Amino acid sequence: MTTQPLVSIKGLYKIFGGNPQSVLPQVLKGMGKAELLEKHQHVLGLRDINVDMREGEITVIMGLSGSGKSTLIRHLNRLIEPTTGSIEVRGEDVLTYGEEKLRDLRRNLMSMVFQKFALLPHRTVEENAAMAREVRGETQAERLAEGRKWLERVGLGGFEKRYPHQLSGGMQQRVGIARALASDSPIMLMDEAFSALDPLIRTDMQDLLLELQKDLHKTIIFITHDLDEALKLADHLVILKDGYVVQQGEPQHILLNPNDPYIEDFVSDINRARVLRVRSVMQPINGQTDFAGVVDADDNLEHLIGLSGGDTYRTYKVQSNGEDVGALDMKALVRALVPAAASDSSTRRS
Amino acid sequence: MATYDWIFNTLGLKDWCDGGATGNKTLSLSEMLAQAKGETVQTPWYETPFPSLDALNAACPTVARTRDMTSGVENGFLAAKDSLKFVLDPITQPLSWLLDGSLWLFLAIPWFILIPLLVIGTQFAVRKWAITALVLFTFLFLAFIDHYSFAIETLSIIFVCTFLCVLFGVPIGIMMSKSDRTQKAIIPVLDMLQTLPSFVYLIPLIFLFSVTESKLYGIAIILYAIVPIVRLTDLGIRLVDRDVTEAADAFGMTFRQKLFKVEIPLALPNIMAGLNQTIMMSLAMVVIASLVSAPGLGVLVLRGIRNLELGVGLVSGFCIVLLAVLLDRVSKAALARADESTHH
Repeated sequence: MTTQPLVSIKGLYKIFGGNPQSVLPQVLKGMGKAELLEKHQHVLGLRDINVDMREGEITVIMGLSGSGKSTLIRHLNRLIEPTTGSIEVRGEDVLTYGEEKLRDLRRNLMSMVFQKFALLPHRTVEENAAMAREVRGETQAERLAEGRKWLERVGLGGFEKRYPHQLSGGMQQRVGIARALASDSPIMLMDEAFSALDPLIRTDMQDLLLELQKDLHKTIIFITHDLDEALKLADHLVILKDGYVVQQGEPQHILLNPNDPYIEDFVSDINRARVLRVRSVMQPINGQTDFAGVVDADDNLEHLIGLSGGDTYRTYKVQSNGEDVGALDMKALVRALVPAAASDSSTRRS
Repeated sequence: MATYDWIFNTLGLKDWCDGGATGNKTLSLSEMLAQAKGETVQTPWYETPFPSLDALNAACPTVARTRDMTSGVENGFLAAKDSLKFVLDPITQPLSWLLDGSLWLFLAIPWFILIPLLVIGTQFAVRKWAITALVLFTFLFLAFIDHYSFAIETLSIIFVCTFLCVLFGVPIGIMMSKSDRTQKAIIPVLDMLQTLPSFVYLIPLIFLFSVTESKLYGIAIILYAIVPIVRLTDLGIRLVDRDVTEAADAFGMTFRQKLFKVEIPLALPNIMAGLNQTIMMSLAMVVIASLVSAPGLGVLVLRGIRNLELGVGLVSGFCIVLLAVLLDRVSKAALARADESTHH
C-alpha cells in the first residue's frame, strides 16, 4: 500500500460568502467557524484539508450533515471552486485547468453517483446508463451496448427499456452506478450514494459495490454519514467535522485509537465485534505452540466468538494467505470489544 | 386671480410668468360667468385645487398645461417616427410577407383538402380521438354556416404569430433563466406588455405603419402574446431539478448539451403551458386587431358592433369561442403528452 496517491488534496480551504478572499488571511491564521460567521458573515466550509487518495482504494469521507463532506467531494471535479489550496490528480493540479481540460477530466477521469440518483427522467434506463458516453459523442449503438453491459453487471438486466420512475429507489441507484461505471473512468465519486435507501437495500448495495470493486479496482471516493457503512467500505477513512479533518487513517486503527472525543462518541455506538478484524487485535507469535485452531486475519471478531463458543482461555493462530502472521488471545479480543474511553472511566457513557 | 398666484409672487417670478403669457388664457365657465358679472371668483377653501399643471398655469401662464404636455409627447413621437420607421420598416417587412403568404396559402387550399389536413395533423399531435373529432366537427360546422374562410383567416394569423412568439420567446426565456441580471431587465418589459391595455398597442403602431400593412396587427399580436411563453420558459428552466443539472455538469456536458439534452426536455411541460397561453392570447388579440384591418372572425364582430347587427356579432362571437375551445383542447392535449414523456 505504498503506491503514489492518485488524487491528492493539499491545503484546501473553502469559504462561502460575499468576498471570501477578504477574510482568507484571518482564516489561514486559524479563525474558527463561529467567529468567522459572527465577525465577517462568511461561512467556513472547509479548513485546511489534506487527504491523499490511493489508486484502487476506497476512501470514505465521513461526517455529520454540515461537516462539509458534500462540499469536499464537489471540489474534486470542481463543481465547487475552492477558495485556496490545490487538488492534484496524477500529479496535475486540476485547479489550473481551463474549461476544455476540466470537461475532459469530468468526461474521462471522474464519474459521479448522487444521493438523489439524478437520473434523466425523460430517458430510458439504458439511455441513462449510456449518458457518459453520449456526452463524449459516441454513436447510439456503441453507447447503448455499453450501457446495457453495465446494467447487466449491476443486476438490472431486462429493465433497459423502463423509465427511472418505474423503478424502486435501490434500482434507480443501480442505474446511477451503471452510469458511472459505463464511463470507464478510473475515479468514482459517490456522494452519499446509499443514504437515501432503506437499510436492507443499503446493505445489498454496499455488497454490490465491494463485489464490483474486487474486479474493477476503481479509485472510489465515498461520502457517508453512516459509520457502519464507512467501516464496511473504507480502505482509508477520513472523519470530517465542521469542515476540518478530525482524524484519518485505516478504519480499524481509528476504531481502536480514536484521538478525539467526537470520534469516541461516534465509535461507541457501533457493533465492534462485527467491524473489528482479527488482524487489528492479534499479537505477534512469541513461542506459543498450543493453538486452539487457525483463523484468517480478515475474519471479524464475531466469527471468532462463535468459533470459540465464548471460551476466553483459548488462543488462535492467525494466518493470512497461508502464512502465519500472529496469535490471537481471546482475552485480548474481549478487551477490544470495549471502547477505549469506556475502559478508562466507567462513568462515561454516551 | 388664481389660487396659486401667491407661490409665484412670493418666489418673485411674476415677471417671468407675465413674459411667457400667451394671451389667449383659457377661462373656466365659472370664471367667465364671474367676468361677465364683473366680479372675481373667490374659491372656497374646501375647493382648493391640487397644484396641477392646469392650476399652476392659471396662476402663471408660462407653466405648461397638461394639454401642452400630451401634445408634446405626440410631437416627440411624431418627430422620432420617421427615423423609427426607417429602422423598423425593413426589419418587420418579413412579418408582412409571412402573414400575407400564410393567409394566401390557407385560402388557396380547397376546404376538402385543408379540413382533412388539419384533422390528421391534430390526430398526429395529440393522439386522442375525442379531440380529433372535436376539430373535425368544429370545422364542418363553421363551413356549414359559411364562416369557414373567416375562421381560417383567424387561424392562419394565429399560426404565424404563435410560431414567431415561440421563435423569439423561447430563446429570450432561456437567456433570462441563465442570468439573473437579464431576468431583472426583461421582467419589467414583460409586465408592461402584459398590463398595457390592448388598444394602447395599436395607437403608436398606427402611426408607425400604414393601416393597410398586415405587419401592423402582426406586431400587436406578437407583443401581446409573447409574454407567457417567455415567462414560462424562464420558469421551466429554472425549475429543472438542480441535482440533474449537477449530474449533467459532473459528466462533462457542454452548455449546449445540457440545454438541449437536459434542460429543455425537462422544462418542456412548462414551455408547452406557455405555448397554450400564447395561443389563447393571440386569439384574443386577433379579434381586437380587426380594428386595424386584421381579417378573420374579428371583422364580423366589428361589423356587428358598428352596424348593430346583433345576429352577425353573436354568431361570429360564438365561432370565436368554438375556435378558442378547439385551440385550447388541442394544445392542452399536446401539453399532456409532453408531461407524460418527462414523468413529473
